[in-house]
Amino acid sequence: MRPLTPRRLLLTCGLLAAVLLAVVFFSLKFGTWAISLHDLVVQLFRVTMGHNDQVTSDFRLIVLDIRWPRIVLAMIVGASLSVAGASFQALLRNPLADPYVLGVSSGAALGSILALIWAAQLPGATPFGAFIGAIAATAAVYFLGRRGGELDSYALLLGGIITASFLSALIMFLMTTISGRELRGMAFWLMGDLSTPSPVSAGWLFLVLVLGVGAIYTTAADLNLLLGGEQEAVHLGVDIVRVKLVVYLGASVLTGLAVSVSGAIGYVGLLVPHLIRLMFGSDYRLLIPATALGGAIAVVLADTLARTLVSPTQLPVGAMTAMVGAPVFIFLLRRNMA
Amino acid sequence: MKLRRNPLKLAAVWFLFGALPARAQAAPPASPTAPASPSPAGAADALVEFHDDLGRLVRIPALPQRIVSLAPSLTETVFALGLGSRLSGDTNYCDYPPEALTRTHVGGPINPDLEQIVSLHPDVVLATRSLNRQETVDALDRLGIPVYTTDPRTVEDVVASTRRLGAVLGAKSQGDAVAAQMERRLADLARRLAGRPVRRVFFVVWLDPIISTGPHTFIADALRHAGAISVVNAPQDWPQISVEEVLRQNPDYLVFAGTHPDDPQATINALKARPGWSSLAAVREGHFAIVSDALDRPAPRIVDAIDELARQLHPDAFVPAASPPNSPATRKGLG
Repeated sequence: MRPLTPRRLLLTCGLLAAVLLAVVFFSLKFGTWAISLHDLVVQLFRVTMGHNDQVTSDFRLIVLDIRWPRIVLAMIVGASLSVAGASFQALLRNPLADPYVLGVSSGAALGSILALIWAAQLPGATPFGAFIGAIAATAAVYFLGRRGGELDSYALLLGGIITASFLSALIMFLMTTISGRELRGMAFWLMGDLSTPSPVSAGWLFLVLVLGVGAIYTTAADLNLLLGGEQEAVHLGVDIVRVKLVVYLGASVLTGLAVSVSGAIGYVGLLVPHLIRLMFGSDYRLLIPATALGGAIAVVLADTLARTLVSPTQLPVGAMTAMVGAPVFIFLLRRNMA
Repeated sequence: MKLRRNPLKLAAVWFLFGALPARAQAAPPASPTAPASPSPAGAADALVEFHDDLGRLVRIPALPQRIVSLAPSLTETVFALGLGSRLSGDTNYCDYPPEALTRTHVGGPINPDLEQIVSLHPDVVLATRSLNRQETVDALDRLGIPVYTTDPRTVEDVVASTRRLGAVLGAKSQGDAVAAQMERRLADLARRLAGRPVRRVFFVVWLDPIISTGPHTFIADALRHAGAISVVNAPQDWPQISVEEVLRQNPDYLVFAGTHPDDPQATINALKARPGWSSLAAVREGHFAIVSDALDRPAPRIVDAIDELARQLHPDAFVPAASPPNSPATRKGLG
């Protein structure tokens, strides 16, 4: 493997950022309301130059007020889920770990539903509930996945599946028995949906994203050593308890953030880190920022498809990611077994 | 099952996404805080303020020219008020009157395409609480598009809601006329059904699995107006019921709402073949009532559906109606 130089880190991230910019541009272009490439460029130029008064009202409403906030959310959610996935893969030393597959997303979903039922009036109750739910679900899966003091790959996956279906059953129970307007449309949200703007401002979400990813990034060098085995990492002087705690909390915060905004969008945390590893290697110091950018690209692409494929009807973005992600999961699982 | 296609889809949407009972504080009546009477020419652009069924203050042009409806019932109401030509957009499920199919569709009621709605430049968007999501209303609100939300829970609410929509959409006299007509027909039905035994019915929203309707829905109220009562007494609005419970309740009639009463015999045969159902008295005796899917929709046509249902459940009450239009009482009085 090529050594990681600052130059390579910058080049890789720069390349991904350029791809992200292009994807965002095309996502701004496509939608039910048609806009020509020329108009889009002209209007965007006016916006960036601060000539807001020269922008048409349709453009402002549709491109700036509807498409752009949705793209921003997609980027934040994609980056969160992908970095959470990469972190779980290191934490559990399992290439198949993903917040959705492990049931962590279901835990976050249950947490935010409970928060809605008990504390809907408190600001930030839903994201906080999602965070607590994510932590609890990760702990449960971790416990179920242990066998003879070691984390067993298959016990872990089964533990995740069992946790996810148990939590889904609880969610279904709550949804059928508890009445309340705030639960309306929750089934749609549970499948992963970005069609309704988040009540929390994008600035706050971005701040939490940066804090979560930043915290995990401080352990990147240790995660590289951890991949070689826990004992070896301890011998090399890694403070394993601290690293695990930081990654565990960071990944739970990121999952909670993504789920509270968009429901359970599956397989992004699995797909993106793998693609990034295939393309750029598995050094976590590069993997974490590259995965964040890659996740943003993936979810913006998926959501653009979700809202244009059968327009004006909109698909849940979770259906798009699962359609691509589930076959890849099977492929990785079979390769892992071979 | 063949009985219902479109309504099945709609019921599925309800079941999956709207099945959560919504009981909240009663909304204040939608009284215009500014005169809604036809303004003199030139004042058509003036904004009029209304409180909708959610209690939200909505500012709408006195004579809205571009209306977008987010529910089949609202689309029907707009047409019933004679304002169909001003309806710019409706949902994928809006199929009545047939002209509604020709309007620009903005997606489904649960998850409409905001872009499509905005690009129609609506003066007002109509939503209903039982089918649309609060998130959609809030999102349109933030985009500066006035949304008027209705929330009828009973047949009387549907009448009142129709009257108010007339006022909101600048067609107060039509709204009053349509509502008065509905009231007259309901009063006539009530008179005919007075003193008749109330039929215990099982309303089938969906057959596989069996979904019925709870006591707080407007369908349950529509059944009451047709001289029937639902045997289901679950707290949910769209509860899933076991065959066992249907047998235990032993309803007098099974009621289905479909687009057409197309081949009810096939459904009856299918039901007769099923274990459990075959031993049900209503099935053995062929006590099926099939009414149009208007019963599913809180719109003016619901009175037609109630009438249709009442005639099947209480044929005796309508015998005199088969003779010429003059009421028997009048003729007796004259003779």
